[in-house]
Amino acid sequence: MISGFVFRALEGRIVAAVGILLGIGILVPALNLLTPPDSAIHIPTYAMALFGKYLCYALLALALDLVWGYCGILSLGHGAFFALGGYAMGMYLMRQIGPRGVYGNPILPDFMVFLNYKELPWFWHGFDWFIFAMAMVIVVPGLLAFIFGWFAFRSRVNGVYLSIITQAMTYALLLAFFRNDMGFGGNNGLTDFKDILGFSVQADGTRAVLFFMSALMLSLCLILASAIVRSKFGKVLVGVRDAESRVRFLGFRVENIKLFTFVVSAMMAGIAGALFVPQVGIINPGEFAPANSIEVVVWTAVGGRGTLIGPIIGAILVNGGKSFFTGAFPEIWLFALGGLFIAVTLFLPKGIVGTIQHGLKARHALKAAADAEKGRGDATTVAQAQAAE
Amino acid sequence: MTSKVAFRVLQSLGLLLCLIFSLAAPSFAQQTDPKPLIDALSKADFGEAEKLIGQLAATGDARLVPALNAFSEGDLYFRKSDNLVFIGKAAGSNYELTDPVTGASAGQTAKNAVTKIKINNSLRRVIRSAMGGLTLLSPDRGVRLQAADAVLRSPSAENLELLETAISKETDGEVKARMVEARAVSLLSSDRSIDEKRTAIQTIKNYGGRNAIGILMGASAGLDPSLKGDVDAAIASIESGQRLWDIGQNVWYGVSLGSVLLLAAIGLAITFGVMGIINMAHGEMVMLGAYSTFVVQQLIRDHAPGLFDWSLAIALPVAFLVTGAVGLVVERGVIRFLYGRPLETLLATWGVSLILQQTIRSIFGPTNQEVGNPSWMSGSFPVGGMTITWNRMWIIAFSLSIFVALLVVMKKSSFGLNMRAVTQNRRMASSMGIKTPWVDAFTFALGSGIAGIAGVALSQIDNVSPNLGQSYIIDSFMVVVFGGVGNLWGTLVGALSLGVLNKFLEPSVGAVLGKILVLVLIILFIQKRPRGLFALKGRAVEA
Amino acid sequence: MTFKSKSGKSKLGGALLAAVMSATALQGAFAADDTIKIGVLHSLSGTMAISETTLKDVMLMLVAEQNKKGGVLGKKLEAVVVDPASDWPLFAEKARQLISQDKVAAVFGCWTSSSRKSVLPVFEELNSILFYPVQYEGEESSRNIFYTGAAPNQQAIPAVDYLAKKEGVKRWVLAGTDYVYPQTTNKILKAYLMSKGVAESDIMVNYTPFGHSDWQTIVSDIKKFGSAGKKTAVVSTINGDANVPFYKELGNQGIKAEDIPVVAFSVGEEELAGLDTKPLVGHLAAWNYFQSVDADVNAEFIKEWHAFTKNDKRVTNDPMEAAYIGFNAWVKAVEAAGTTNTDAVLDSIIGVSVPNLSGGTSTVMPNHHITKPVLIGEIQADGQFDIVQETAPVVGDEWSDYLPDSKNLISDWRKPMSCGNFNVASGKCGGKGS
Repeated sequence: MISGFVFRALEGRIVAAVGILLGIGILVPALNLLTPPDSAIHIPTYAMALFGKYLCYALLALALDLVWGYCGILSLGHGAFFALGGYAMGMYLMRQIGPRGVYGNPILPDFMVFLNYKELPWFWHGFDWFIFAMAMVIVVPGLLAFIFGWFAFRSRVNGVYLSIITQAMTYALLLAFFRNDMGFGGNNGLTDFKDILGFSVQADGTRAVLFFMSALMLSLCLILASAIVRSKFGKVLVGVRDAESRVRFLGFRVENIKLFTFVVSAMMAGIAGALFVPQVGIINPGEFAPANSIEVVVWTAVGGRGTLIGPIIGAILVNGGKSFFTGAFPEIWLFALGGLFIAVTLFLPKGIVGTIQHGLKARHALKAAADAEKGRGDATTVAQAQAAE
Repeated sequence: MTSKVAFRVLQSLGLLLCLIFSLAAPSFAQQTDPKPLIDALSKADFGEAEKLIGQLAATGDARLVPALNAFSEGDLYFRKSDNLVFIGKAAGSNYELTDPVTGASAGQTAKNAVTKIKINNSLRRVIRSAMGGLTLLSPDRGVRLQAADAVLRSPSAENLELLETAISKETDGEVKARMVEARAVSLLSSDRSIDEKRTAIQTIKNYGGRNAIGILMGASAGLDPSLKGDVDAAIASIESGQRLWDIGQNVWYGVSLGSVLLLAAIGLAITFGVMGIINMAHGEMVMLGAYSTFVVQQLIRDHAPGLFDWSLAIALPVAFLVTGAVGLVVERGVIRFLYGRPLETLLATWGVSLILQQTIRSIFGPTNQEVGNPSWMSGSFPVGGMTITWNRMWIIAFSLSIFVALLVVMKKSSFGLNMRAVTQNRRMASSMGIKTPWVDAFTFALGSGIAGIAGVALSQIDNVSPNLGQSYIIDSFMVVVFGGVGNLWGTLVGALSLGVLNKFLEPSVGAVLGKILVLVLIILFIQKRPRGLFALKGRAVEA
Repeated sequence: MTFKSKSGKSKLGGALLAAVMSATALQGAFAADDTIKIGVLHSLSGTMAISETTLKDVMLMLVAEQNKKGGVLGKKLEAVVVDPASDWPLFAEKARQLISQDKVAAVFGCWTSSSRKSVLPVFEELNSILFYPVQYEGEESSRNIFYTGAAPNQQAIPAVDYLAKKEGVKRWVLAGTDYVYPQTTNKILKAYLMSKGVAESDIMVNYTPFGHSDWQTIVSDIKKFGSAGKKTAVVSTINGDANVPFYKELGNQGIKAEDIPVVAFSVGEEELAGLDTKPLVGHLAAWNYFQSVDADVNAEFIKEWHAFTKNDKRVTNDPMEAAYIGFNAWVKAVEAAGTTNTDAVLDSIIGVSVPNLSGGTSTVMPNHHITKPVLIGEIQADGQFDIVQETAPVVGDEWSDYLPDSKNLISDWRKPMSCGNFNVASGKCGGKGS
C-alpha cells in the first residue's frame, strides 16, 4: 500500500524534477569542493550558499503550495512555521557553541550572559541533543499548526478571514520574539554559530553537506507532496478547495482534511527553516515579519500554484532576481520586483509553470480536436491531454 | 546668611519701589541700571549667568522682560568687537540687533560678528521664574496668567510678597485663582508659620490634579514634621479623586487610539470590505495623503506663510484628489482585470505598494519629512483631572465625521446605491443599466481618497516617511476583519473596542505584551465569530 | 603608478612618457586591478532605509573626495554599493558577495546590531574588515570589525552624569524600544545609577514595541512618575522611527524640557528633520558629534556634503562622522601598510589617529573601538543642537564595567595577545576561561 502511495507520486514530471534536484544537490557541492578555484567550472562557496538558501525557500514555497494550491487555505503566516523550525535549529547550534562564546560560559549563550540570566530557561533544555532538536524542528511548527488549525477549521474560519488571522499569528510571534524577555535573543536573534554535529558550519565540506541535505529534503518533500495530491485523499483535498460545502455534504470531515494538510505543510516549512539557519548563519525575529510570509505567497504565485514544480521554480527565480537586482540596481530593484508581481498576476494568472502546462494542454486539445475533425481522433488523446493537467 | 537676608530685603524693597513707581509714574522707575548686568552675560558661564539673572530679577525692572524672553528663546547675542549684548533677530544673512533694555534698534550686523549667548535648561528655569516675578503685575491679563503659571511651576519663597500684592490687586477670577495656588505653593517653601502652611496645603489639595501631588510630595521633605499628616492626607485625598479621572483618561486614550485605527482602516473598509479587494497598497494611499500634506505645507511656507493654520484644510481636498486619482489609475490599470480572483488582488496590490513606496523614496528621499502642527492642533487643555490634547481631540472628531460622511454617501446618494447594488449582485446591477466598471473604478477611488485624507490626519501624529503605510496596514486589516467585512459600523465598533482594549492592557502588561495579547484575542474572537463582529447576513455569506 | 609625477613634469617628453605609461597601466588594468574596491553595505529599501541611505551617500562622497586627492596607494577607489533591504540574512549574503565575489578590500556598513551580528561570522570566516559606524550596546569585539560609533560609555554614562550634576536629576525614567541595544544600555545605566546611590524606586524602566506610535499612556505615565516631587529626567533609547510621535506627544502634553528633560541616544539631526522642534527646545541628546560643532573641519565637511547632495538643507549627524572617521582611518592604515591585505591593515590600523569632525583627533584603539569626545546638546528651535557640554576624548569600552559578567573582560587585538575577550581575573583569553 505504501509502495503504491509512493509509486503514484513518481509521475514523470516529478521524477524529472527530483532527478534534477538531486543532480544539482550532488553536482554543485562536487564542483565546489573538487575543482580548483580558478577553474571555469568551479562554483564558489558564495554561490553555493546562495543557492542553498534558495532551495530552502523553495521548500517553504512548496509547503505553502500544498495548503494554498491544493486545499485553498491562503496562509499569510507560513513564515512563522519556517522561523520556528529555524529557531529550533538555532537553539541547537547555540548550545553547540558551549564555552567558546565570548564570555566563556559553558551553559548560557552569550546574550543570556549579558542580560543577566542566571540559568538556562526551561524551554532551552534538551536542545543540546541533535535528535531532540531535529524532532523539535517538526514538532513545534506542527504543534502550532495543529492548535491553530484545530480551532480555526472547526469554527469554519475560511477565506480572507483565515488569511488575516494567520497574519495576526505571525505578527504576534514577531512581536513576542522581539522581546528580550522571551529568552530567544531578542531582535538580534541567534547567531555566531560554530559547529553542527561536531563539524564547523563554516567549513566548505559542511556547507556542501548542508546543500545536499537541502536538495535531498526538497526532493523528499516533493515526493511526499506529490504522493499526497495524487492519492485519493488528494482528490478530496482539491474538492475542498473548489467546493468545500459540497465535500462536506458528501460526508467528508473537511476540518480534519484541512488540519492534516496544514500540519504537514507547517512541518515542511519547519524543515526548510532548520536547513536555512546553518546556511545563512542567523535566525532572528525578522523571519516572522508578515511581509516575508506574503513574499512566499508571491513566489508560489509566480511559479504557479496548484502545480508542485511551480513554487520551486518561483522561489528560485524570484530570489535569484532579488539577489541580482539588489546588487546590480540597488536603487530601482523594488520597481522591478513590484512590476514583476503585477505582471505575473495580470498576464500569467496561473504562474509560469501553470501557463506552460496550460499552453501544452491547449496544444494537445487543439491537436486532438484537429484529429477528431479528420475523423481519426479517438478518446484516448483527449483523455491523455486531460491527464497531463 | 546675612547677605541673603539683606538681598531679600533689598529685593522686596526694590519690588515695592518698582511697584509704586511703575504704577504711579513709569518713567521714574530707574534704579540700578540693568545694562551692565546684561552685558556681563557675554562672559558668564551657566552658573554665573544664573546669578546674573537673579540680580536682574531683583531689579524688578519690567523693561527687562523682552531681554529675558529673548534669552530663553536663544535670541540673545553679544557683539564680538565690544562684548555688548543685544537681542538679535535673523534678517537674511544678517542679524537685526536691538538694545536689550530700551528696545532701540542697533542696526544690522553680519552673522559672524556676533555670538549667541548659550542657554541650558536650568537657566531657562531660572529665567521663567524671574519673568514670572517681573510680569505678575503686567496690565495684560494673558501675561499675568502666564506669569502666575510660571511662578506656580518654579515656586520660590522670594515671590511670596509679590504674589500677595498681585492677588490683592487682581480682578480677573481665573488669574486670581492661579495666583492663589501659586502663593500656596510658594508659601510651603517659605518661613511662614505652620498654620499658614496648613491652610496652604488645604488650598493645594482643593486644586487637585497630578501636579498638586508632585508639589506636595516635593515639599513634604522640607516641611515641619507636624505637617506630615496633613500632607499625606491631602495626597491620599487627591489620589482617590484622581483614580476615577484616570479611568476616564484611559478611556479617552483608548478612544483616541481607536479613532486612529478607524482612520487607517476606513478606506480599507471600502476597498477590502465592500469590494473584496485584498488591498495591500492601502497603507501606501495613507502615505500618499501624508505626503500631499507635506507638499501643501511646503508650498504654503514658501508662498503664503500666513495661511499655515489653514494648511490642513487645504491639504484635505488635495490629498483626496491625489490619492483618489492614484486609486483610479490602479483600478483601471490593474485591479479591474482581477475581479472574482480576490486572493490574486493581494499579489498585484502588494506589487503596487512596493512601487509606490519606492517612487516616494526616489522623489522625497527616505528620511522623515516635517509636517507641522497648526497652532490649533498643538497643546492640551485640562478637563477635570484629565488632560486632553488638541490634536487627539480633532482627530477623533475628524475620523467620526469622515465615518458619518461615508455612511451618508453609501446610504443616501445615488452613487452609494449603485455601489451597493454592484457589490451585492453585479450582473443584476449591470442589467439594470448601471455602468459597473465605472462604479468599481470610482468605489476604489473613493476608498483610496479616504485613505488619503486619513493620511492628512495621521501626518499630525506620526512619521511622514515612505514606511508610513507599512506600519498601519496590518492593524487596518485586523480592524476590518474584527469588525466584520463589508460593514462600516463593524469597522467603527471594531476600531474603538480594539483601541480601548489596547489602552487598558497597556498599563498592566506593558505596550509590547499588550499588543501581542490583542492579536491573540482577535484570533480567538474570529474562532467564535468567524465572520467578525457584525457579520453580513443572508446569501452573500457563502459567496 | 606614475600619475603623481605627471603633474610635476612640464616637458612635452615627460607628458608623452606619462601618457605612454598610463596607456600601459590602463592595459594592465583590465587584467589586474587598477582600482581598490570597497563595499558599502547599507539598506536602501525597507524599514532601515530611512537611516542608512544617508550613510551610503556619505561613503560615496568620501570615496569621491579621496579619489580627487589621488586615491589610495596610487589607485582609484571604487565603491561597490549593494542593498541588503533591511533583511538580516540578506546582510550576510551580501557581505559574502562583496568579499568573495567583488573582492572588496573593506566593507563599510550595517546599522542595526542584528545586521552586524548577521555579518560578523562572514567577516571572520572570510577574513575581511567591516567598519561599523553606529552607536551600539557594546559587549562585542571582533578581530575583523571596527566600531567607530559610540559604546555605552561614550554616550549613555556621560549623559546621565550631566543630568545628575547639571540638572540635579534624582529620578530616572529609562524608556526604550524593546530590543537589545536599549535593554543592554538600560541594564548598564541602572547598575551605574544604583552604584551612585539612586534608589531602585526612583528608576522606572519602560519598553515599547518597534515603531510604536501611540505614546499617550506612556507619556502620561512619565508625567505621573515625574510628579513625585523629585527632579525627573527621561533617558530615551527609543529607536529612530518611534521618536517622532513620542516627541509630538511630549510637546502636546506640555512636558517642557525645563520640567522633565529627555535625553536621547538615537535622536540626531536627521531624526529631528521630520519634526517641528519648537516645543522640544531644551530636550537633550548625547552624541560624539553635532552638526553645530564649531570647527573648521566640520564646516568644510558640511560644505562638501551640501555640494555632494546638491541640497543645502541636508543635515549631518553622528553616524556620518563615525563613517568619516572609519574611512579615513582605513585609508591611513592602508597607506601605512602599503597594501590592502586584511592582516596587514589590521596590524597597521591600531594606533592610527585621524581628525574627527569635532576639531580633535580620534585614535583607533587595540580593542577596535575609537576615542571620541562626548557632546551633550540641547535641541534648538531650528532642529540643530546647542552643545552644552563637551568632554575630553573617551575610549570606547567594549565590555561594560557595570555588567557582572563583562567587567573582567578586556579586548586587545595587538600581538601577542590578539584576543577579543581576555579575562583579567583568570589571565586567559576566552571569556571566563573556565
